[in-house]
Amino acid sequence: MITKKLIDKIEGEACVYFDIKDRVVDFATIAFPNFRGIQEILKGKNALDALVITPRVCGICGHAHLMATVRAIEDAYKNGGYEIVLNQKIQKIREFTLIMETIQNHLKWIYLTIMPELAQLNKSTKILTPLKSAFGSSIAARAIATFAGQWPHSSYMLPGGITCDPTNIDALKAKSYVDELTSFFEKESLGIGIEEFLAFESCKDFKNMDSDISFIEEELIKAGMNKKGFSHDRFIVLGNHSYTNPSKINQTRIYCADAMCVEDIDSYSPNEKTYAKNAVYSGSYYEAGSLARQMSLNVPIVKNMHRRYKDSAYSRVMARIFELAYLLKESNSILDDIDISEASFNAPQHINAITATGIGVVEAPRGPLVHKVSLEKGVIKEYKIITPTQFNIGSSTKSDPTPAQKSMIGVSKEDALFIFRTFDVCSVCTTH
Amino acid sequence: MADRIEGVKKLFTSKSARVETNMGDAHYEKLFQSCQARIEELKTQTPRENRLDIDSFLDDQGVNRRDFMKWASAVTGMLMLPSSFTPLVADAALLMNRAPVIWLELSDCAGNTEAILRSDGPKIDEILLDIISLEFNETIMAASGHQAEKQLEDAIHTFKGKYLLFVEGAIPMGLDGQYGTIGAHAETFYDHLMRISKDAAAVVAVGSCATFGGVPAASPNPTQAVGVMDVLKGKPLINIPACPANPANMVGVIIHYILTGQVPELDSLLRPKFAFGYRIHDNCERRAHFDAGEFVEEWGDHGAKHNHCLYKVGCKGPMTFNNCSIIRYNEGVNWPIGVGRGCIGCSEPDFWDKYAHERPISSVNIKAPTGGVEKTVDEFGLGLLTAASIGIGIHAVASVIAGKTENKEY
Ligand code: SF4
Ligand code: SF4
Repeated sequence: MITKKLIDKIEGEACVYFDIKDRVVDFATIAFPNFRGIQEILKGKNALDALVITPRVCGICGHAHLMATVRAIEDAYKNGGYEIVLNQKIQKIREFTLIMETIQNHLKWIYLTIMPELAQLNKSTKILTPLKSAFGSSIAARAIATFAGQWPHSSYMLPGGITCDPTNIDALKAKSYVDELTSFFEKESLGIGIEEFLAFESCKDFKNMDSDISFIEEELIKAGMNKKGFSHDRFIVLGNHSYTNPSKINQTRIYCADAMCVEDIDSYSPNEKTYAKNAVYSGSYYEAGSLARQMSLNVPIVKNMHRRYKDSAYSRVMARIFELAYLLKESNSILDDIDISEASFNAPQHINAITATGIGVVEAPRGPLVHKVSLEKGVIKEYKIITPTQFNIGSSTKSDPTPAQKSMIGVSKEDALFIFRTFDVCSVCTTH
Repeated sequence: MADRIEGVKKLFTSKSARVETNMGDAHYEKLFQSCQARIEELKTQTPRENRLDIDSFLDDQGVNRRDFMKWASAVTGMLMLPSSFTPLVADAALLMNRAPVIWLELSDCAGNTEAILRSDGPKIDEILLDIISLEFNETIMAASGHQAEKQLEDAIHTFKGKYLLFVEGAIPMGLDGQYGTIGAHAETFYDHLMRISKDAAAVVAVGSCATFGGVPAASPNPTQAVGVMDVLKGKPLINIPACPANPANMVGVIIHYILTGQVPELDSLLRPKFAFGYRIHDNCERRAHFDAGEFVEEWGDHGAKHNHCLYKVGCKGPMTFNNCSIIRYNEGVNWPIGVGRGCIGCSEPDFWDKYAHERPISSVNIKAPTGGVEKTVDEFGLGLLTAASIGIGIHAVASVIAGKTENKEY
C-alpha cells in the first residue's frame, strides 16, 4: 500500500510516498509540489539583475546562490575573452560570508530538525532548546552583515569583486562575532573546547563529552542509525573553496571531478506532480553535502566513522556537526589572512561586451550548487540552476534509486522519515 | 537651466518625505486611556497553557529589565508614540502571549521566516516572535503533517475573529493554482489562504512576495503569482514589504494591535506609516555626499572607499520608502548601503522589474505604480518616480560638470 507523508518544518514542503511491505519501506518516491519559475524569470534580463534575483531562490542559502551567480558570470567573462582576476581579499571575504551562512544553516538543522526528530523517534524526554539555534545563527548573521549589509538576501558580490570596503574596525568586528559564536558553540553545544573536539580521531572520543552533541550521538546509536540509512557510498564535491577538495569518491577512493559532468534529468513521481528534477554526475547518483566534503578532505574522525558505520544516517549527522566546528576554525583563519588594503573591486569590461556561456559552482550548505548561464551581449539567454537537494533527494525508479530513496529502503516508516531529514531537505531550492 | 537644477536639487535635498508624527496632546491623552484600559483587560485573561511566561523567559535569556525598557522605548519611538507610552508598550510586549498569531508560508523562499524567526532582529524582537507569539508556522512548528493541520484548525477555532494572520509568500494563480499546494490534501495556496483568513481579525502580508508578488511575479511571471492584496477582499490588510521584511516592523504591528486593537495608520499601498513613512534617501548616512555631488562612479573607486553616494551605481533610495536606513538589519549591524551596495527598492511594488538594476534610475524606463492617491508619502512617492528620475539625473550630471568628483587630486 502506498502511504503519503508530508514533510514540513523544512524550507517549503515535500511529500514522500511510501510503499510499505512487511512493515518496512519497500520503496519511496518524493514530490516537491511548489514552483516559482525563477529560470524563466531570468531569461531576457540583464546579467547583473541575476545578482539580486537568484539569492531570493532560497531564504536559507541565498548567499550560496549569489556566489554561484557571480562565479557563473565571471566564468562567462573568461570564456568571452575578458578574464577577471580576483585578489586574495575579495576571495577571502566572499568565502567568509559563505562559510558563515553554512554555519547558521547547520546550527538550525541540529536544533530545529535533528534534536526534536530524534527525541520523537526515541521517545526521549530531553528538554529541547530550539532557541540556541536562533541565538547562534543570529551571531553568524551579524558576521555576514558586517561585509554583506544584511542576511538573508544580500547582493554585495559583483563580477569583479565586492561592494564593501571594510575598515580594520569592520574586520575586528567580524572577528569578535566569530569568537562569540565559537565560545557559544563550545559552551552550549560541545561542552568542550573546539580545538579538543577537532582533535578527535575516533567515534569513541565522543564519549568524552557531556553535552547536546554527545546526546545526539548517543541517541543516534540508540535508534540504530549507525546501521541504517545507507546510501550508495558514492560522494560528490564540486565547489572549489579553501575548505573543500572537489572530487568524486567511491567508498574511500578519491578521484577528481568536474562540474561539467553534471546534468539534471526528469524525475519519477507517479503519485503526485513534482516540479523537481534529479541531478546526476556522469549519469549516476551521488550523495552530496558535509559527509562528502569531509570525506574528500580525509578528516581522520570522519574516515574512522566511515570505516565503522559507512554512509549511515549516523555518519551523515555526525560529519555535519564536525564540519560545523571545522568551519568555525576555518573562518577564523580566513579573517586573519584578509589584507584590507587590497582593492575590493576591479572594474571588468562592460557586461554588454559579453557573449559567452559560464558555469558557477559553489559548495552550499547541502552540497554543490551549480549555476549555468548563457549570455548574449550581456543579456541572459538561458539560466539553469541545479541544487544540492536535487543530488540527494531526487525521485527515481526502483532499479536506479537516488541517495535518499536508497537510504530509506528496508527500514520502518518512522526511521525512514528521520533518515530523510538527515539529508537536510530544502524544497524551495529544489524547485526554484 | 541652472535655475531648474537648483529647484530640483532643493526638492530632493529637503527633508520632505516625513509623516506628520505629532497628533496633538488631546489625541494622545485619549489614546493613552483607551490603550491602558485594553491592557488592563488583557491582563485579566490567562495566557494559553502552552505559552511561556514572557517575563521570566526574557530573564532566563539574560535580558534584564533595563535592557527591556530600553527596547520598549525604542519601539514606542518607532510606533511614533510619545515617550509616555513606553510603560504601555512594555506591558503590551509582555502580553504578547495573549495575542494569537498564525503564520502561513506560500510561494516563497522562506527568507522572512528565516529573518524573523531565527536570525534577525534585535534580540528581544526575535525572542518574542520566535517562541511565544506564533501560533502556527509550518517551518518551525513542532508537530508535523496531520497533527499540524489539527493544531491549525484548533487555533482558528479558539481564536475565531481574534487572531492576526501573517502570510509569507506569493499566491500562484496560474494552472488553477497547481504551482503551489499545501498540506496533506494538497490544497492550493489560494484556497488555503481563503480558508485560514476567513476568521482572522486582520491579515498581515510579510515580505515583498506576499505584498506585491515579489520575485515569483517578476516578468514574465511564469506562475501568475500575485500578492495577498490582489486576492483578499473585505478584511483589514497590512502590508509589510521588503525582501526580507524587517522583524522590527512585524513586532511593531503586533504590539500596535495589542495596544490599540487596531490596524496602524497605513499608506495607500497598505503599508504602516510608522515603518514606511520614511524615504531611504532622507535618512541615508551617505546623504551629505549626495548633496555635495560626490558619487561613487564605479565600485572600488575613490568614492567607494570614502562612502560617497551610490546613486550613480544604481541606488534606488530616493524612490524607496522603508525604515531600514534607521533600524538597519541583523540586530542593527548593517544595511545594504552600509556596504556600498545601493538600495534596490525592495519595499516598492514590482521592484524586480523596475529597480533591481545596477544602473541609475534615470536610465531605466519606469512607470509610476498604480494605487490610490494620498497626501504626503504617496503623493511624494508617485511624484518621485517620474520627477526624481529626471531630477536626480540632472543633479548627477551637474556634479560632473562642476568637476566635483572627476578632476580632484586626492
Ligand atoms: S546612497 Fe542612495 S539613498 Fe543614500 S544619498 Fe545616495 S542616492 Fe540617496
Ligand atoms: S536598502 Fe533598499 S533594497 Fe535594501 S533592504 Fe533597504 S529598502 Fe530594501
